[in-house]
Amino acid sequence: MTKILVVAESALRELLRRRSVLVILLLLPLAFYLSRRGDHLGQSIRFVCLGLGWALSTAALFAGSAARGIEPRLRLSGYRSAHLVLGRLLALWTVGALLSAPYFVLVLVDQHDVRYGAIALIMALTVVVAAPFGLLLSAVLPRELEGTLVLLTVVGLQMVMDPADQATRALPFWFSREIGTYAIDHTDGGYLTRGLTQGITFAVVLTLLVAVAAAVRLRRRRHLRFA
Amino acid sequence: MDQERRAQWLRGVLDLCVLALLSRGESYGYELSQALRAHGLGAVQGGTLYPVLLRLQRSGLLTAHWREGRTGPARKYYRISPAGSAALRAAATDWSAFATSVGVILTEEAKR
Amino acid sequence: MNHDAWLAALTGELRRHGVGPDLTGHVVAEAATHLAESGEPPLAVFGPPQAYARAVADSLGGPDQRPPRRRPGPVRLGARGITKRYRGRTVLDRVDLTVRAGEIAAVVGANGAGKSTFLRICAGLVSPDAGTVQVDGALGYCPQDGGTAEFLDPDEHFVLVGAGRGLSRGAARRAGRTGAAALDWTPPAGTQARHLSGGTRQKLNLVLARLGEPDVLLLDEPYQGFDRGTYLDFWHEVWRWRDAGKAIVVVTHLLNQLDRVDLVLDLTAPGERAA
Repeated sequence: MTKILVVAESALRELLRRRSVLVILLLLPLAFYLSRRGDHLGQSIRFVCLGLGWALSTAALFAGSAARGIEPRLRLSGYRSAHLVLGRLLALWTVGALLSAPYFVLVLVDQHDVRYGAIALIMALTVVVAAPFGLLLSAVLPRELEGTLVLLTVVGLQMVMDPADQATRALPFWFSREIGTYAIDHTDGGYLTRGLTQGITFAVVLTLLVAVAAAVRLRRRRHLRFA
Repeated sequence: MDQERRAQWLRGVLDLCVLALLSRGESYGYELSQALRAHGLGAVQGGTLYPVLLRLQRSGLLTAHWREGRTGPARKYYRISPAGSAALRAAATDWSAFATSVGVILTEEAKR
Repeated sequence: MNHDAWLAALTGELRRHGVGPDLTGHVVAEAATHLAESGEPPLAVFGPPQAYARAVADSLGGPDQRPPRRRPGPVRLGARGITKRYRGRTVLDRVDLTVRAGEIAAVVGANGAGKSTFLRICAGLVSPDAGTVQVDGALGYCPQDGGTAEFLDPDEHFVLVGAGRGLSRGAARRAGRTGAAALDWTPPAGTQARHLSGGTRQKLNLVLARLGEPDVLLLDEPYQGFDRGTYLDFWHEVWRWRDAGKAIVVVTHLLNQLDRVDLVLDLTAPGERAA
C-alpha cells in the first residue's frame, strides 16, 4: 500500500508541475461548455462532460508516456507493475476529481431543471474511464502525437455520431450521452441503467487492460533467474 | 646514559641487529624484542620494531609467514632471505670499520 | 585505552594513511599477538594509534598502490551463452560473464558492439534470443540516459525509488544524500530533474541505482558529463563498493581504468578486433 501511495504522490506532483498543461486542461471543458451555451438546454452539459473526458485522457496519455523512462528502474527497485499502475491511476483520478468539481458547481449555478445527481454520476464515471483510457493509449502507442490523434478521433466521433446508433456504444464515453439524456430530458431509468452498465464495464475493462499491458511490458524476462 | 642519543644510535643499527638475530634462525616480533633486551639494547618497543620488520620484508631482506603457536595466538614468523644475508654481511663489515674509526677517535680524545 | 579499542583505532588510522586492507589486517593481527604475549598496555608498546599508523605507512614508502588481493566471493551474476540478433545481424554471440561478490567487470567494445544491450539483458529489460542470466541478490541498474523523472526533484526521486526497496522516506533521503555526497554533490532541494545539467543528472542516476545497497550493480557508462574530479570520485566509489562485497558490471569505452578492474569482457567482434 505504501508503494502505491508513493507512486501516486509522485505522479500527482509531476502532473501538478506541468502548469501550462494544467491550465489548458482546465479551460478546455469550459470552451466546450461555452460553445453550446446558447443552444438547446443541456447540450452544453453533454459537451462539458466530453471535454472533461478528453482533457483527462490527454493528461493520462502524457503521464503514461513520461513514466516510460523510469518505470523499468522502478520495477527493478522492487515495485510490481500493479503498484505502478494503481498509483498512477490514483493520481489521475484525483486530478480528475479536482478538474470536474468546478464544472459541477458551474452546472449547479447555471443550469436548472436537470437531475444534478445524474450529472455528478456522469462526471465521476468520466473521470474513472478517462484515466485508464489515456494510460492504455500511451501503452499501445509509443508516441504522444499518435495517441493525441486517436483521442481526437474518439471524442470527435462521440460528438457527431448519433447516440442511438449501436456502433457508438463501442466508444468509451457513450454512457455520457446516455445518462445525459436521462439527466437533462428527464427520460425513464432505462437510459440511466444502460449508461451505467456501459460506463462501469468500460472502466473495469480499461483498467484491467492497462494493468495487463503494464504487466507484460514490465514482466520479468524468462532468461533472468534469481537464486 | 643519554636516552635520546641512545635512541638515535639504535635507529641507525636496529635493522642490522634484527637481520643478525634472524640469521641465527626464524623468530617473531615479541621474541625479537626480548632478544634485543637480553643483548643489552634495552626495551625496543613494538612501535619501533615492527615498522623496521615491515620495511625489511618489503625490501625483500626478510620473508614472513603466519603460523599457529602451540599456545596462544598465531604469530608472524620472520626468516632472513639470501638477499638479507648478503646485505647483513656487507653491512657488518661496514659497521666494524665505522665502529673502529669512531672508537679510535674517541679513545685518542680520552687519552689526551 | 584497552587492547580492542586501541586495535580498532589502529585499523581506522591505517586505512586513513592509505594502507591497503590486507596489510592492515596483518599489522593489526601482529600487534594483537604482541600485546597478548607481552601483557603490556598498547600505548606503552606502540604509542598512540595515529603515530604507529604513520610509522607503518612511512616504512612502506607511501600508500600501498597495489590492488589488494581478495578472496573471490560467491557468484552474484552468471550470464551464459547470451545471443542477440538485430535485423539479421548478430550483435551478441554466445557471450558468457561470471561476476563474483567483490569483483568489478568492465564491458568494453566499439560503438554498436552491444555493450548496452548486454547490460539490459543482464538487468532483464530486454530478452536475448538465447542464453540465461542467473542473479543472486538484488539488482541495481543505472541506465545510460533516462531513468529519472523530469518533474521530480532529487529528494523525491530518492523517496520514490527508496520506497520500492522498502526504505522509509527519511531513510531514503538520507541514503540518497550520503551517496550524493560521495560524488561531491549536494542535491538542490526543489530543483526538478529537467533543470539539472547532464552530469548532475547522471549523478542522480547513479545514486538511485545504489539506493538500498543492491548486491549486483549494472552501470551503463554512468560517468557521462562528469568532470575529472567527479570521474575519479566515481571510480573510488566503485572500488569502495567492490571492497564492500558488491558485484559490479561497468560498461565503459575509457580503457585507462582497466588495470583497476578484475575482469574485462571485450565485445568487439573478433574480425573487427584484428582490423
